[in-house]
Amino acid sequence: MAGEGALLQLDRISRRLGGRQVLREVSFALRRGEVLGLLGVNGAGKSTTLAIVAGVLAPDAGAVRIDGCDVADDARAWRSRIGWVPESVPLWPELSVSEALDATGRLRGMGRSARRATIERELARFDLGGVATRLCGLLSLGQRRRVGLAQALLHEPDLLVLDEPGNGLDPLQAMQLREAIASLSPERGIVLSSHDLAEVEAMCNRVVVLHEGSVRHDARLDGEPGRLDAQFRAIARSPASAAA
Amino acid sequence: MTAIAIARLDLKRLAVRPFPWVLAGIAVAMMAWQFLLGLSAFLHAEPAVPGATGALGFTDSVVGPYFLNFLQLCLVIAPLITMQALAGERRAQRLALLETAGASGAGIVVGTFLARLAFLWLLLIVVASMPLVLGGATQLDWGQFAAGLMATALCTGALTAIGIAASAFAPEPALAAAAALLIGEGLSLIDAGVRLAGGGDGWLGYLALHTHLAPALRGLVRSQDLVYFLVVTALALALAMRRVATERERG
Repeated sequence: MAGEGALLQLDRISRRLGGRQVLREVSFALRRGEVLGLLGVNGAGKSTTLAIVAGVLAPDAGAVRIDGCDVADDARAWRSRIGWVPESVPLWPELSVSEALDATGRLRGMGRSARRATIERELARFDLGGVATRLCGLLSLGQRRRVGLAQALLHEPDLLVLDEPGNGLDPLQAMQLREAIASLSPERGIVLSSHDLAEVEAMCNRVVVLHEGSVRHDARLDGEPGRLDAQFRAIARSPASAAA
Repeated sequence: MTAIAIARLDLKRLAVRPFPWVLAGIAVAMMAWQFLLGLSAFLHAEPAVPGATGALGFTDSVVGPYFLNFLQLCLVIAPLITMQALAGERRAQRLALLETAGASGAGIVVGTFLARLAFLWLLLIVVASMPLVLGGATQLDWGQFAAGLMATALCTGALTAIGIAASAFAPEPALAAAAALLIGEGLSLIDAGVRLAGGGDGWLGYLALHTHLAPALRGLVRSQDLVYFLVVTALALALAMRRVATERERG
């Protein structure tokens, strides 16, 4: 596989959950500057893959590496290089946006002045200055996602992992998210999951299609509209036995 | 370091939630009532034994039972205040958020334990201040008071650790509360039958909370009692740490 010089590399990852084989020997790689879209129908294994990449879930078999460093070797170092925003965007509802960011910075071991500077930077980057003192429990979904992104980027990770980032956003919020991802991608790798073809085509420059826990398609997006749609439909309708 | 950060975060969150305040308000009101009842009974009994040698003083007849009542209350409060600590956070995916923010399993467990313990110890300080304000007006045995306070604080720590462990293992906060309540009540009542029969020196007696509380409430500080509370606390926290550390494997 094209793992040479890859920022992130998944090598034959398998995982069972709740008695079901969710992932079967999933392999793909991601280079710095790439935005990789994990595409698949519900239950295809996208969230499980991202949870493994984020270090939240351990694979039953296979290896995940960032710049050749395995998560099993040094989980702490691994986590310092990853920013993760799960689909539900877990925030502390009792804290204000700036308090939540401050708490995250503290957990990451950042000093007071570094925290203050990075919080200012992230509030500005995601246009959150107006809600900095609002409680996280009172934010709209779009605002929650932006706070989640700000939290994930506080330590300037090399890899950003986003699970269904566009879910539930209105068109304007979706557009803002696309702009944010486009501005973030040159310095780091981004892997995001979606079941929305248009979203993936708009945000990503590579796509991996997962079907029933297996990688069924891994290619760069060449910008031909509609081509991915036809490929995805063919994969989604194919039986599990057709998996590679 | 992360444990301190998590403890600060948890304390801040506890401080702005209504539930801990309601719980604390009810607890303080109940303890104030218990204290007044104990004091009233003491004042009524006092004239009947003027100058009698061996008669129980204020510390024996009011403060000891008062601390015991607080611990009976803690058997319920500790599970309620700890049930969300890990089970609720796991459900809301905030445990994973802490882990990806660089917190270790041990840091998460110790941090949440310290925050809950701080809450219960603050409550204990308020509760202990009631007999303290009478310290100038009555003959309070300061040594016995300090021994009772220390045993109560240690026992509260053990109950908090049991609550944290139950929260680490249970999938739901309600189940965590029920499990912690059962374990706490179990340790409280485990030797009840033996005590009624006049025994209590066996291993069943050693496991019971009462065995290790009673001497301290009488003013007797024994190292074996301190070790008991510290071992229960350490064991419960170690189990919780192990459980949280294997979250990645279990999914």
